[in-house]
Parts: sequence; structure tokens; C-alpha cells
Amino acid sequence: MNTMQSLPLLQNALTVGAILFSLGLVGILTRRNLIVMFLAAEMMLQGISVSLVAWSRYHGDWGGHVLVIFVLTVAACEAAVALVFVLQAFSRTGRLDAAAWQSLREANVGRTIDHELPAIDTVPLRFPTLAPAGVLPPADENEPLQREHV
Amino acid sequence: MNPVSFDPLASGPLLAGAVLATVASLWLLLPNGRDTTTARWLGASLGLAALAAFIATGRRLGGLGEEAVFLIVSLVAVISAAATIVSRSPVYAAIWFALSLAGVAGVLLVLGAQFLGVATIVVYAGAILVMFLFVLMLAQPAGLASYDRVSNEPFLSALAGAVLLGVLSLSIGRLSAGPASCCDLPTRATATPLTATPSAAEGIAAPATAPVATVVDPLAENHVARLGGELFGRHLVAVEAAGVLLLVALIGAIAVVSRGEAAHAAEATTATGPAAGRSAAR
Amino acid sequence: MQEFSPSTLLVLVPLLPLVGAILTVLLGRTLGAKAHLPAMAGIAAAAVVAIALLVVTARDVGPAHGAHAEAVRPVEMISTLWNWASFDAAYTPPAGSPATDARLTPHDLGAGKDVRSFSIPVALRLDPLTATMLTIITCVGLLVAIYSVGYMHNDPGYPRFFALVAMFVFSMSMLVAASNFLLVYVFWEAVGACSYLLIGFWFTKPEAARAAKKAFLVNRVGDFGLAIAVFLLWMTYGTLDFHDTISSNGVIMPGILGQTRLADAAGYAGGAVGTAICLLLLLAACGKSAQLPLHVWLPDAMEGPTPASALIHAATMVTAGIYLITRSAPLFSACPGALTMVSIVGATTALIAALIGTVQNDLKRVLAYSTISQLGYMFASLGTGTLLGFTAAIFHLLTHACFKALLFLGAGSVMHAMGGVIDMRRFGGLRRVMPITAATFFVGAAALAGVAPFAGFFSKDEILAALHSKGWPSAHGDHHAAAAADGPFQLIAFSPDAAHATVTAPAVGLDALDRPETWQILFWMSLVTAGLTAFYTFRAVFMTFTGPTRVPEGAHGHGGHGDHGDGGGHDSHGSHGSHGGHESYESPPAMTWPLMILAIPSALVGWLLFSTNWLAHFLSATPSLTAPAVAATATPHVFHMNLAIQGTLAAAIGIVVAAIGHLGRRSDGPQLERFLGPLQTLFANKFYFDQIYSALIVKPLEGLALVAALFDRHVIDGTVDAIAGIPVALGSIVRRSQSGLLQRYALVGVMGVLAIVVLLTWQLRG
Repeated sequence: MNTMQSLPLLQNALTVGAILFSLGLVGILTRRNLIVMFLAAEMMLQGISVSLVAWSRYHGDWGGHVLVIFVLTVAACEAAVALVFVLQAFSRTGRLDAAAWQSLREANVGRTIDHELPAIDTVPLRFPTLAPAGVLPPADENEPLQREHV
Repeated sequence: MNPVSFDPLASGPLLAGAVLATVASLWLLLPNGRDTTTARWLGASLGLAALAAFIATGRRLGGLGEEAVFLIVSLVAVISAAATIVSRSPVYAAIWFALSLAGVAGVLLVLGAQFLGVATIVVYAGAILVMFLFVLMLAQPAGLASYDRVSNEPFLSALAGAVLLGVLSLSIGRLSAGPASCCDLPTRATATPLTATPSAAEGIAAPATAPVATVVDPLAENHVARLGGELFGRHLVAVEAAGVLLLVALIGAIAVVSRGEAAHAAEATTATGPAAGRSAAR
Repeated sequence: MQEFSPSTLLVLVPLLPLVGAILTVLLGRTLGAKAHLPAMAGIAAAAVVAIALLVVTARDVGPAHGAHAEAVRPVEMISTLWNWASFDAAYTPPAGSPATDARLTPHDLGAGKDVRSFSIPVALRLDPLTATMLTIITCVGLLVAIYSVGYMHNDPGYPRFFALVAMFVFSMSMLVAASNFLLVYVFWEAVGACSYLLIGFWFTKPEAARAAKKAFLVNRVGDFGLAIAVFLLWMTYGTLDFHDTISSNGVIMPGILGQTRLADAAGYAGGAVGTAICLLLLLAACGKSAQLPLHVWLPDAMEGPTPASALIHAATMVTAGIYLITRSAPLFSACPGALTMVSIVGATTALIAALIGTVQNDLKRVLAYSTISQLGYMFASLGTGTLLGFTAAIFHLLTHACFKALLFLGAGSVMHAMGGVIDMRRFGGLRRVMPITAATFFVGAAALAGVAPFAGFFSKDEILAALHSKGWPSAHGDHHAAAAADGPFQLIAFSPDAAHATVTAPAVGLDALDRPETWQILFWMSLVTAGLTAFYTFRAVFMTFTGPTRVPEGAHGHGGHGDHGDGGGHDSHGSHGSHGGHESYESPPAMTWPLMILAIPSALVGWLLFSTNWLAHFLSATPSLTAPAVAATATPHVFHMNLAIQGTLAAAIGIVVAAIGHLGRRSDGPQLERFLGPLQTLFANKFYFDQIYSALIVKPLEGLALVAALFDRHVIDGTVDAIAGIPVALGSIVRRSQSGLLQRYALVGVMGVLAIVVLLTWQLRG
């Protein structure tokens, strides 16, 4: 591991970190599900961690490692508290939708409502039920046997 | 070991193409009205093309083995990350995120951060991700919710992300091995004194930051022990503070939850109707 | 008195009422019912000092020597208090303008030729005219103050009234004592302000507020004239002082009315500039003395308290115009056309006001129009330009002050007793229930009508004599003829071809009015006015005091038995209480004593001053009246029997007609008005002056004000609101971006950061 080789490693690792960071950024800005937003935020932190460790390796220093450990710690705390608030938000609006919270808008702006919702591409779910013991359940050919979505 | 000199001009168009491909692929892949299969396949292919371009602009590491390992783990990380943000089902997104974490752990291990790689798996995938899944279990409506099938300003966001990526790549590409202070890692066999390094021969007396000149070799055996020594040595106060932070976060989370429950109980007794859309599972 | 020099006394006369006013303002609330004390003490002390000054000045003038006209040397004393404004080398008049004429203007030799320095010293003067005016002002003011103690009793504005009266006495005293035209202007405005405050004393009454505003605005027109006249005087004569001053170089700077200029036969500007100055001064005097066309404010000013009317609108403030013209006699003498205009204005006003007064039913209105008419008499007399004319005007001013104040105070007594009713048709036969008021009122009315031997007879006779002497110059002896043919003054016209003009050249423009025919017409007008004066005065007397006794409800009566103790706090006079069972409505002593005191000079002062010729002799020592142009017209003091007969005949005719119409049983209604027909409407509507002014001036101004208001509200405010609306509009556009959606906010933030990052990267390349 000499200097000349560590630079390409650094650059590649930094590129990976940058990609992860950017993807996480896009995810936060785009997805409306609160949980997915937090996942994207965690992904940004992952990108940061990779970058920090790459620099630490390049410089031969512990600084990056230590910082990543603290990032990890804080991410854990943040996730815990944030999820509590997500649950509070859910209990108020019944949705995990970031767009459900619009009351801080200006008075002359109307409520943003999804207009062009894509057609539901799932049929309504019908969960299988267990027949009581000893009873033959009725057969239904039309019932989908597999759920496609969770 | 021929170092590849980075020529910005040559890879400029490549980088631009990669950025454009990223924009297009993200825009196509993100959940929106066009959920046609064609769009998805097109987006996926464009994304792979962009990825290939980024790989092409990257550096060649030393040996094939190193390069292959690095490529595999980073591909896992990146592709899973992309899948995370484009999945329509949040549960699937969480699973993809777990895979991305695995990839990231691999990258960290390649970089020699043994403790951190494992810690990532343990803390993130093991704890945080599970918490997310628990919340999803509590709060996710049956079937796909409407808000999972639309995105907020996909084009502009994809553009922002891709431009950011392009700028960062450009900056990363311009890094050069300048007369940095302490960048020479000693080999496993020898601990080269600093004064013998060619960089120090530049005549800079600045690396008289002697304590920092303790060069770290992450691949040594006692990596974790040394990391521990560093943590509890130089960063003791921070470590203790982090512990307190964890405790505070825990207490705070419990407090908010209990107050929330009390408030809900008060609402339930005073109000006649239930809160709009309260989940029965709550 | 030995330790007080005349200059100290002169300063005390305005100072004491000022101190009284200030004390009343400060202590009025705490003094309560005794709030009249500081003001009355100040005015009383000022009256004493004024009389002392009169004595001092009379001693300086010396006694009159019989009936011969003789040259009297001017008597004046100047007391300069301090220098108010002083600017050296303030103004250089352009070459060729009248101000550079060597005969007229002082040169400030120190700073170079034709450079004027502007200085206004606060200087008071004492001369016979000022002493006379000060005496009248302070004595009448004192009597009015005593009267007001009774009249304004229980009025919530009691301290304010006395503060205003004292303030007024101060302002008027300073006006007649000031020795500088600018100071005269200042106090001219001050008396106008006091008049406004006193007319609008009961300002909660809309008519009073409107009347006060009207008085102030009409006076403003006159004040404008005075201001322009002051400007022209400054430019023509280079100074505004009356008296001569000595500059720092020891050079005597002639004042406008100083003895240097008065002795100079060619000291005054005639022609266009001089006439302009004189006509502007006439405009100012018309405004203050309620002459045509600025007379419309005086009848409305009767909305104020009656003591204020007596003081201001009968005796003192309205005489400020007379004072100004008398003081400016030399200026006027250089412009015979302007003098004639003065007389024309005066006589016309007298006639028209008398005509209007014949159909008024409000006792105070009758007296108001009578005041306008008598002031017109004084103006007519002033306009003759002779020494007799000037002294007769001041004589009439003095007697008029006495009997008009008496009449006003009597009317106030009647109004007070009748509970605020002053319409003569609603009461009658009051001589049985208000004997003192009736007797004194009769004395005043007789003086006003010119019945011998009361005061007004002699002064009116002198005025008629002055007019007659101008209309029929040959009948009055050589002096006038000589004066007319060989005028002591030369016309100095500032047109290029008039340098050689003499009085024998044909008079041009306004001066062409100065012909005997004009004066004859004016004489006959005045005679007719005398008859009308007697008519309306005695009509008022008969309607009020004769005939069956009628009293409106709400009158403040107090009988011999069953006394209403709360009838305004009146005393019941036991001896005058019950006449044949009638209750007595007589006013309290505070009100009746001034009436009785004023009745004495109304009866006697005319005969006293005329027979001794003291007043004319005294006044002829005033510097302004010692100007050669005026002094040369002095005539021997004779009693013109034929004029006396004519005047008495006119008065008798008037009284008889009034008696036919309104005496006794016929006292309750319109009798002669039926014979007037359409004229009655004309007179009752005051010759439609108010309506004409309203249509010509007030309504257009209101329209202009409306336009301005609309412009202000819509254009200016509209523009400002529009400009203010721009940020609001811009903001409302930007506001739409605040959608409340968290991710949109984050997106904008990210794009901003990205822009910065891209910019930095671009700048750092290479």
C-alpha cells in the first residue's frame, strides 16, 4: 500500500460515497412515505461514512473512524426519536404521508391534492381466511392465490 | 502499477453523459404515473449505463483481485441503494436498504475499517432497520398507499441529485497526490519514519505535527484495540457524551410516546368520534 | 409719579394687561369665581397710567389759544425697548427704482450708496394720538371688564374670557403705541386673533364658530393688503419706522412719519406707487373697521358675548383702521385720489349700513350696522384730508366709543334680563321694569342720533363741516381755497415725463375724483345717513322700551315678593323693585354701574371738547398731523350753525318717522317696513353681499377644495397605496411558493446549495 495506490482507492471510495449520498438525497426529496424518507436519510449517512473512512485510510488517521462511530451513534438516537414522531404524525392523520402536513402554507395557497393518481395496479386484497377446523373451505377460482404486494 | 493520470478533458463528456443518463434513469424509475414496464426497463438500462460510465471514469486499483472485490461490493451497495429509493413498497425498500448496508459494510472492510464494517451491520441493519420495519408494520396501510405511488417533483430532484453527483465526481477526479502531510502508509513490515518519505523531502518542516505522524495501518492485527485506545484516549469526553446522548434519546422517546398516549386518551374521552383515520392497530 | 419717567409709564400700559392675562391663564382655575381679579387689576392700572400719560402729553402740547388756527409743533416721545431684527446691507434696490431716489430714501453711507439695512426696533411712541387712543382703550376696557363680572357670571369659560379681554387690551395698546409698521402689522394680527377667540367664545355653538371663522377670514383679506403695503413701504422708503433714527455713522435716517420727512415738502411718494400704498392701507382698514366690501363679518360677530362686542366691535378694534389712516395722513395727503376713495368708501358704507339697519329686528344687529355706519362716517371724514377732517374723525371715534359701548352694554343688559332673547318683536315696554337700563340706553341713543347737546351731535357736526368744506370750498374761507390752488405738496410721479408735473396739471386716474362735485354728493349722502341713523336708533328704542310691557318666558325676573333667589344671582333693588306690581328685571350693579358711568361722557364729552376745542388742538400736535399738507388746511374753530340746523333737521325727521311707526302701542311689529315693499327684502338680505360672496368666492373655493380633496384622496393616496401595493403584490406571487409541503422546501434549498457549489467549482477549475 503505497501512496500512489491509495489515491485511486480514495477516489473510488469517494465516488461510491458520492453516489450513495446523491441517491439518498434524491430519495428524501422525492418519496412521500415518511419511512422511505428516513431510509434515504440513513443512506446519505452511509455515503458520508464511506467517505470519512476513505479519507481516514488515505491520511492514515483515526479521525475518520472516530467520527463515523459518532455518526453511527447519533443516527441511532435520531432514528429512535424520529420514529416516535412518525408514529405521532401517523396517529394524527392516519397516513405516513409527508404531504399530509400542509397547514403551514400561506393563506392564498390551496391545499395540494394528488390529482393524477396512477390507477391502482392492485386488485383489492382479499386475505385468505382459515376455515374452521373440520370444515372444507369453499373454493373460489377467482381469488388470487398470491399476494403481489405487501 | 502504472498510475492512471486523470485527464479531465477526456472524461468530461463521459461524465456529462453519465449525469444525463442518471437523470433520465431516476426520472423513469421513480414512482409516478408512468408505471409501465417499458419505462422501468428503460430506466434500469439507463441506470446501468450511467453506472458503467462512472466505473469507467474511476481509477484502476492495483491488482485484479482488489479491483474485483471493490467493484463487487460497491456495485451491491449502489444498485441496492437505487432500488431502495425507487421501490414502491416501503417494506421492499427496507429490504433493499439492508442489502445496501451489506454492500457498504463490504466497502468499509475493503477500506480496512474492520470494526466499522461490522458495526454498520450490527447497528444499522440489526437495530435501526428493524425499528423501521416495526413502524411499517404498525402504520402501513394494507395494499399500496397512494402516496407510495407518486413522487414529489421527480424530475427536478433527479436533476439535483445527478448534478450534485457530477460536481462531486469532478472534484474527486481533480484530487492529486500533493505534498500532503502524512500520507504514506508504512508497509506491514517496516514502519517507515516520516523523514524518509519522499513527501517530506519536499522540504516542508510543517510535518512537525509529530503526534499526528503516528501513521495508522488499519490492517494491523490489533485494529479494534487501537481504535478503542484512540476512542477512549483522545475522545473520551465525546464517548461519554455519546452515551449520555443515547440515554437522553431513549428517555425522550419514551416520554413523547407516553405523553402522546395520554393526550390520545384525553381526546378519546372528550371527543365523540374517533380521530380521522386512526389505525385500529394503534 | 416722579420716579416713573414717561417712557416707563408708556411700557407699563401694555405690560400690565399682559401680566394680568398671563396670571389669569395660570391661576384662572384656582381663582374660580374671582378669576376676573388679575385681568381687571391689570386693565385698571393701565387705565390709570394711560390717563397720567394723557395729562403729561397735554402738558407738553400746551393750552389752546382761543379759536385761532395756529401752527402747533409736533410732540412725540420714542422709547426703544430693544432691537428685534437687524441685518446690515440687507438689500440693494435696483437702480432707477423709486427706492433709490435721493429725496425719499435714507442712504446707509457706511456700506455704500443705495444699500439698505433692515432693522426692526421694538419702539413705542407717545404722542397725542396715541395718548388719546390708549385712554379710550383702557377706560372702555375697564368698564367692560367690570360689566363682564356680572354678565359672564356662572359661565364655564369665565377665566378664559377675562384672559382674552386682557390680552386684547394688551394687543390694542401695543398697536396704537408701536412706532414701526411691522410691529403694527404684528399687533394688527394679534387683535384679529383675540377677536376671533372672543367671537367664537361659545365655540360649541356652530353659528358662533362659523362667525368667528368668517371674521378671521374676511380680516385676512385686509391683512393681506397691509402686508403688501408694508412691503411697498419698505421698498419705497427704505425703512419701516415711524420715527427718525440715527444710524451708527451719525446719519439721521428719516422714518416714514418722522419729523425730518414731515418737514420735507417733497418727502412722500405720490403717483402710482404712493396710491398703491394708500389703497392697500385702505384695504387693511376696511377689513379691520368693517367697511365695504369687507363689512360682512361684523353683524355675524354679534354671536360673541355682548361685552366682547362692546369692547371690540364698537369701541376699540374696529377703530384700528381709523387709527392707521390717521397715522398715515402724510402718505395719503400725497395721493388725493386715495383720500377721495377713503371718503367714498366711508360714505357709501355709512349709507348702505344705515339702510340695512332700518329693517333689522335683532337689537344687537341694529347696533352692529350702526357701528358700521358710524365707522363709515369716520372714514368719510378722514378722506377729506383736512386737519378738521382728521380731528373730527378722532373726535367722533371718542364719542362713538362712549355711546356705542353704552348702547351695547345696555343691549347686553336687556338680553341678560330677557333670558337670551334679543329679538325686539318679542319684548316691549321694558322701561317700566328696567329703568336704569332704559334711561342710559336713551342717552346713548340720543347721542348716536346726533341730538343736541349730546356727544354725537358735536362730532357729527364736525364731520359734516369737513365734508361741506370740501364740497363748497369757497364758503370756508381763504385757507381752503389757497390750499386747493397752491398745494404745499408736489406730485412726484415716477413716470419719466412727469418730473415737471405740478398741481396745475390735470389730475390723472384716481386723482380725478377729487372734485367738489364728488364731495357734494358725499355730503348729501352723509346727511341722509344722519336721518336714517336717527330713525333706526329710535325705532329700536321705541320697540324695546315703550309700549305695553311684554316679557318672554324664561326671563330672569325678581319681584318684590316671591323672589326667585336663583335668578342668575341678581340682587333685588328695593327701590326700583316694583312699579305698579311689575317685577323688576334690572341687571345687577356690576352691570348697571358701567352703564351709568358711560352715560356721563355720552352726554357731556361732546360739548366739553367742542367748546374748548381742546381735542382738536391736542391732536394737531401729533407728528402725522403736523405735516405741511395737513397742517396747512387748518381752519379756525367755528360752530357751523347752518350745518347744525341741517343735521338736527335730519335727525328730527328720523325720530318723528320712528315715533310714527313704533312708539307706544305700535311698538310690537313691523310698521314702516310695509311701505318699503321689495326694498325691504333687499335691506333685510343685507344687499345680498353674503350671497354674492358665497357664490363668487366661497363656493368656488369650496369647489377647489373639493377638487383638491379628491385629488389628494384618489391620486396622491392612490399612488401611495399603489406603490405600497407593489410589495404586497410581489409578495402574494412569492407567497404561492409556500405550499406547506416539506419536500418542496427542501428541494428549493438543495437547488440553491447546488447552484453555489456549481459556481464555486466552476470558478476553481484550473
